[in-house]
Amino acid sequence: MKVVVSRSGGITGMRTTWEVQVDDQPDAPRWAELLKELPWDQVEHRAPQPDRYVYRIRCELHDVILGEPELKGMWRELVDRVRAVNERH
Amino acid sequence: MAAAPSHPTRCTIVPPYLLMRLAELDDPRFAAASDAARHSLQRDSPIRDLRNAVPSAQPRRRVGALPGDTAEPGSPDRSIADAGGLENLPGRIVRTEGQPPASDVAVNEAYDGLGETYRLYWSRFGRDSMDDAGMPLDATVHYGRNYDNAFWDGQRMVFGDGDGEVFNRFTVSLSVIGHELTHGFTQFTANLAYEGQSGALNESISDIFGSLVEQHAAGQDTAVASWLIGAGLFTDQVEGAALRSIKDPGTAYDDDVLGKDPQPGHMSGYVETTDDSGGVHVNSGIPNRAFYLVADALGGNAWGAPGQIWYDTLTRGGLSTAVDFAGFAEATAASAVERYGHGSPEASAVRAAWSAVGVGVGVGVAVGDPKAPSGSTKGSAIPRSSPAQDQPE
Repeated sequence: MKVVVSRSGGITGMRTTWEVQVDDQPDAPRWAELLKELPWDQVEHRAPQPDRYVYRIRCELHDVILGEPELKGMWRELVDRVRAVNERH
Repeated sequence: MAAAPSHPTRCTIVPPYLLMRLAELDDPRFAAASDAARHSLQRDSPIRDLRNAVPSAQPRRRVGALPGDTAEPGSPDRSIADAGGLENLPGRIVRTEGQPPASDVAVNEAYDGLGETYRLYWSRFGRDSMDDAGMPLDATVHYGRNYDNAFWDGQRMVFGDGDGEVFNRFTVSLSVIGHELTHGFTQFTANLAYEGQSGALNESISDIFGSLVEQHAAGQDTAVASWLIGAGLFTDQVEGAALRSIKDPGTAYDDDVLGKDPQPGHMSGYVETTDDSGGVHVNSGIPNRAFYLVADALGGNAWGAPGQIWYDTLTRGGLSTAVDFAGFAEATAASAVERYGHGSPEASAVRAAWSAVGVGVGVGVAVGDPKAPSGSTKGSAIPRSSPAQDQPE
């Protein structure tokens, strides 16, 4: 199972993409738990704010777009985890 | 001269910031004004949205921003806070208006940049801060860790320190500071929706006035100015001069890691994408280039007639929040005619510039009429989609 996080926007307008193969991670059960608990179907479209980042998060059939102000709680944990794995490599 | 703003649903005569302050007054002397302001806010959904977007903390208010206050407009009221590497706003206040420079260069760059931005708007357009009602200019520096961004949160400017590898601190560029504060100007005037073409116009206006702040501070005319946004932001390790070029979109950087500046300067290169709220930082190259062409045709200082025409377009009323490029082009043409007359070099330059970037300004629309329909696609070229933009890297 793969998680892909794509960050666009910001004043730079540049896109950065990070991805993680969840099954290869040493704490794979925690990843699976987090991915299961995330409120994928409850993400509402909010009006974008100037120069804030826009996050697109994809995993299997899920595909959500979150503005930077909405990246809180478990969403933030997921993105931080994905980035951390990529920065280690 | 610019007509007084008129629009059936949006109240642009009284700035929203002042409306909010009036609505919250609990003073019998201002009961009528307070009731009227509350009424305006209730029927004005864009402003209601704006009110909801403002953080819960009460914004500061400069003395003189309400009826009965006596302070004179014409000077900024700045405060700079330090977030200390956290993502909590506003942070600890470290410098306020009139205090001597701090030991922190980011604090001083933000303070000076806010001042230069205020100076352009006040001295060239007679505008008293972003809301034209003396709104304090507040900023936070050292936001987050390795944070490669700067933004306007509806009430204050926020600057990251950059990561030190690709980006330096974001206060280093005066055009970035002017860009962010101009998001405030747009919010308090046309309130352009930050998605798709109206979002690209919102971005373009921030780039244009951000560059004008820099040009005005340096005393540079159109021929001398760099027309770059974010010069100095990249570290020495990056092959690039800046984030964007208003003069030559698509030429600001070309780097092994970052790739090439993707901005188009013509509708033939319009990018359809779901990234970046519909490519607002990419497609802004098209209206950016149009503004440069107006400035180039007229010569002299770009904050003169070109800046005035764009300023009038934002402030005269009648612009839909979801206006597209063609509707905005019509509105700039109308503003040019209104201020400089039919057949004037200014009006001709505006039409020629939009035509040159593939956004035709239609004939037969009642130019000079703020109630003329905007948001139409008449005369605009059909955007060419670039689906590759949506593919994961």
